[in-house]
Amino acid sequence: MIASTPMNILIVEDEAVLAMALEHAIEDAGHAVAGWATCLSEANALIETGTADLALVDIHLADGVTGVEVADRLGRETGAAVVFMTANAKLIPEDFVGALGVIAKPYTSGGLQAVLKYLEQGITAPPPSLTPPSGLTLAPDYHDRWSR
Amino acid sequence: MENQDAWRITDRLQAEHGKGDPFAAAVRATRMPMIITDPRLPDNPITFANDAFLHMSGYAREEVTGHNCRFLQGPDTAPEDVARIREAIESRHDVSIDLLNYRKDGSTFWNALYISPVVNEEGELQFFFASQMDVTERKLTEMRVLEDKDRFERAVEARTRELKEANRQLKSALETKTTLLHEVDHRVKNNMQIIASLISMQMRGTTDEIMKASMQTTLGRVEAMSTVHRRFYQSGDVARFDISAFVRDLVSDLIAASGRGDIAVRLDLTPIAVPAEKAAPLALMVNEVITNALKHGFAGGRGGTLRVVSARDGALCRITVADDGHGMPAARKGPATYGKRLVERLGRQLQAEIGWHGAAPGTRVEISLPIEQRGRGA
Repeated sequence: MIASTPMNILIVEDEAVLAMALEHAIEDAGHAVAGWATCLSEANALIETGTADLALVDIHLADGVTGVEVADRLGRETGAAVVFMTANAKLIPEDFVGALGVIAKPYTSGGLQAVLKYLEQGITAPPPSLTPPSGLTLAPDYHDRWSR
Repeated sequence: MENQDAWRITDRLQAEHGKGDPFAAAVRATRMPMIITDPRLPDNPITFANDAFLHMSGYAREEVTGHNCRFLQGPDTAPEDVARIREAIESRHDVSIDLLNYRKDGSTFWNALYISPVVNEEGELQFFFASQMDVTERKLTEMRVLEDKDRFERAVEARTRELKEANRQLKSALETKTTLLHEVDHRVKNNMQIIASLISMQMRGTTDEIMKASMQTTLGRVEAMSTVHRRFYQSGDVARFDISAFVRDLVSDLIAASGRGDIAVRLDLTPIAVPAEKAAPLALMVNEVITNALKHGFAGGRGGTLRVVSARDGALCRITVADDGHGMPAARKGPATYGKRLVERLGRQLQAEIGWHGAAPGTRVEISLPIEQRGRGA
């Protein structure tokens, strides 16, 4: 399960336990954790300094439903690929503010690994050759580009 | 003056019991109140009133003769009705109107009044002829109908307002309920994720391989429950759960987690929506059987094909999990493992029949359960 092309992955998640387990899963898959933010202002600080390839963004953060704004800024200002992680996908705008897709919570460890592998392909050498894993729902834009 | 004299004569003739002019006699005797006025005299006074008129108004003949008939009006007579009559008389037109009039004793009655001018052959105005009719009954009925209609319309309006308000409240209650449901759903999903995360982190820190494998099994069971909750509200129907969609997610997750590229998967899944209360036990049972096939059937690096079928058979849901791996070892036929006991207990809860078959090669497990819960007594 070790990644052939390691990515820097930013975690935007207000639940400490989930962030911790996510860090482990990312490292176990051979990637690096670029940082952890629990709210909009922490995310903004990371946006100014960080260079992440991928950001996993929860929508409900410590300061409210600010994940969409975080995703929007991340995408426009850093060029990082953004994937939402949420139990409430209804809060995602129709255009996904440019994000790649959404991982529905609760995800499983196996499901997450499959998604990370797929995203690694999609981000470092698009389009991915793997079939889209069931744990990831692509944004309409990417669905059109990546689904064969 | 000739005509006026003629009427005087008929007046006198009345004493002679209607002898003479038959038309005059008819006017005298009819039950319809009638009067004649003379516009050529000052203030257009009554020059003749028949008995019916006297009877209706309660006045004596000498009290009305020589007077303008406005004595019939009173405080509640509509001024615009009076104006219409005046206008018709001034312009010598006929007029028909329902007018509130007063009797001598002050009581009121509705008078259907008809006035028409009478001219001679030279076109000169001679008289006004007026017939009356007491239409109080009809008028009151009309007014009652109008009042009833008005009251009915007000009642309908009030009821409509009440219903609109009730609908608004119901809608708002439904919105609150939906919001709460989403909130609870969100929390359940988040908590399932936290539980799984806690187990996986604990597992990561464990060096003992047996303990690690045990925790992996527990994590698998918890994640099966997670998958149930993730699937629950995706369909939009909170009362039913599609077991085929769950199987698709579960198998894809388990294969991904195994990291095995040598296991092919064949899914033949018919969507079957079971009641929501069956979701968790059924998911746990299917997870146990599929995990078992992957772990034991394809142990020791043996690859092969995992086949999962869901089919509807009348009122039954049939799920088949088949592998072409090692087959059931003798040891697995001995004292039941915890996993197998779990499957059998869940099977009882679901009123399911479970068959474990040697498939040469491999193992085939057939689960058959009623889609709807049967009464325990049945």
